[in-house]
Amino acid sequence: MSQPILGTYYFPKSSKAHEAQLQVSGDMISLHYLGTCAEVFDINALKVSTEIPGVPMSIEFPDGAKFTAKESAIRLQPHRSNLAAMEKSKQLIVASVILVPLLLWFMIMVVMPRMAQASVAYLPEAIPEQMGKQAFKLIEELFLEPSTIEESTQQQVKQQWQQALSALNLSSDKYVLHVYASESLGPNAFALPDGTVVITDELLEKLIDKPDAVLAVLLHEIGHVEHRHSLRMVAQSVSNAVVFAMIFGDLESIGEILLGSGSTLVQSQFSRDMEREADEYALSHLVLLGKSTEAFAQAMQSFLDLSTGDKDPKLLKYLSSHPDTQERIDKARNYQQ
Amino acid sequence: MDVTETSVMDDSIDQEVQPTREVPVEFSGKSGEFFGIWIVNILLSIVTLGIYSAWAKVRTQQYFYGNTAIDGHRFEYLATPMQILKGRILAIILFVCYSLAVSFFPIVGLLFIFAMLFLSPWLINQGLRFNCRMTSYRNVRFSFAGSYGEAFMCFIILPIVGAITFYIALPWALRKMDEYVYSNINYGDKPLKVKLETSQYYLASLYVVVATGIIGAIIGALVVPVMGLDFANGTFDSTNPAGTVLFVFAYLFLISVATAVFRSHIRNHLFSVSEFEGLTRFKSAVRVVRFAQLLFVNSMAIILTLGLAYPWAKIQLAAFLANATALDMHDNADDVLDSMEEQKSSFGEEASELFDVDISLT
Repeated sequence: MSQPILGTYYFPKSSKAHEAQLQVSGDMISLHYLGTCAEVFDINALKVSTEIPGVPMSIEFPDGAKFTAKESAIRLQPHRSNLAAMEKSKQLIVASVILVPLLLWFMIMVVMPRMAQASVAYLPEAIPEQMGKQAFKLIEELFLEPSTIEESTQQQVKQQWQQALSALNLSSDKYVLHVYASESLGPNAFALPDGTVVITDELLEKLIDKPDAVLAVLLHEIGHVEHRHSLRMVAQSVSNAVVFAMIFGDLESIGEILLGSGSTLVQSQFSRDMEREADEYALSHLVLLGKSTEAFAQAMQSFLDLSTGDKDPKLLKYLSSHPDTQERIDKARNYQQ
Repeated sequence: MDVTETSVMDDSIDQEVQPTREVPVEFSGKSGEFFGIWIVNILLSIVTLGIYSAWAKVRTQQYFYGNTAIDGHRFEYLATPMQILKGRILAIILFVCYSLAVSFFPIVGLLFIFAMLFLSPWLINQGLRFNCRMTSYRNVRFSFAGSYGEAFMCFIILPIVGAITFYIALPWALRKMDEYVYSNINYGDKPLKVKLETSQYYLASLYVVVATGIIGAIIGALVVPVMGLDFANGTFDSTNPAGTVLFVFAYLFLISVATAVFRSHIRNHLFSVSEFEGLTRFKSAVRVVRFAQLLFVNSMAIILTLGLAYPWAKIQLAAFLANATALDMHDNADDVLDSMEEQKSSFGEEASELFDVDISLT
């Protein structure tokens, strides 16, 4: 016969409450209130709340009545929980403090990018095709105007593009080059996942006397498409969002700011890695085409000249999605030396 | 004067005349205890690739509910991890489809966004209903009675109205939203009667505008020069780490004050006009300076410890809010409570198991 368990008894399916005691003997539990034994239950017929440190157990009886203990330390023997013991274990808590950041880092920096990369490879070609087509419609509508560059110059660029494509065995049906004017995008080139590549008038004008530099920029864009970077980006940001929401679900505003800035850092880390991959693609294919990698350096140099006002400050370097331009120029100049 | 008025007014005045006793809300959660629960649960969630997070959520909720007591009776959180898990799986499917559609097929994505507009009131209702039904006090469950139409009005139409009126109608829209959420809550068969006043929402908004204006000006005068923020050129000297740190401080301070000003005013008002007739009235005396202080210290602590202070901050907040809250229970509330027998809508409603979930990631 053990000590009686003190608590409150709630009558079946009612809020009527009474101070009561439970007496455990073997497999039987008897309920006492107002000085009398009211009922006897088989311990296995009871639904006992899961053990949470600091929360008194609550027992649901078969008839819908409830009993809540006064003290949180008291539990019925067959209902002790390993989870609560883990949550109270000093060693495990210390281990968690160390392991959680490490595992999170590993998940986000290693596991999820790999999974994203692997899964993206299995996506049917129709997905990047549709993605590119639909995105192009929207971008064309919102940001692009017809080119004002002379037809002959455009033809030159496109001809060079065609030659490069056939020399590199790339499909000229897939890779279609467009020239557009765009005030909002400025000097820019971008590729859509289906192989649509757009270069703006503003950029072409900067590089007008350096056709190989134009080619270098375009090869960089092809690199993004070949590596399916935009798909990987989407897969990763979606899976990161899911993981963060699930694990840190109930964080309020400040936690979200912290997580938000954390994932911004992670995202920009990935986009810089992707830029490097695309650079690598451009450089190696310039070599394949028998061109000098200096062309890439020249293209980068003119971007650098464009942004002279911008000092590329150290602190923001980590945040910038493109690797430091000077670094890229140096890399192009030293390529395969 | 009271007597003559009472005779002509309706019965809600009668209840004010009834003797009441003030009952505090007690919160007994402890930072150390909750820290263990929190960190171990995160570890288990990561190791199980997120599956355990449903258990983690239930345990966290049970910890906070179980440590909140009124009149010696603790709250209970009744959801099972499987219900949460089901809801999360549905939410993930929805979220993944949505994000993939939006990013892979932008035009199809627009259609999806449009569809979400109509789906979200249902999801919001589902969440409110679930969370109410999973809350129990003295063996009696809460419930939520809001309808899809009202939710669509409150959460889709009104925010649009708020935006197109250049936020002039926003406080009114916020009042309507709160009214919808709170006046549809039932405890057992007792509906929560809420008489919110639009003027209080405008007042709270005005306070926020004034407070942020003043603090913004002070920050502008004292902090901005140090930060190396140059408005003329629109540049920000990010090489100055002191400036960046100060900027974060100033930003958090502003957010803390704005949140404290609005929430304390609205909370105090909401509680003062809410009542379970025949049972209890509510009182909230959140003091704005203390609240702002708490929010600011909490957010600083979380940032400086890279998140490890989160359990401590959560406990501080819960304890603070509980401490600022009290009930004016009617002396005969016990009789009313004792007579609350099983109601069709309030007890053990087992129907529609499939959708008895809160479809949310959090």
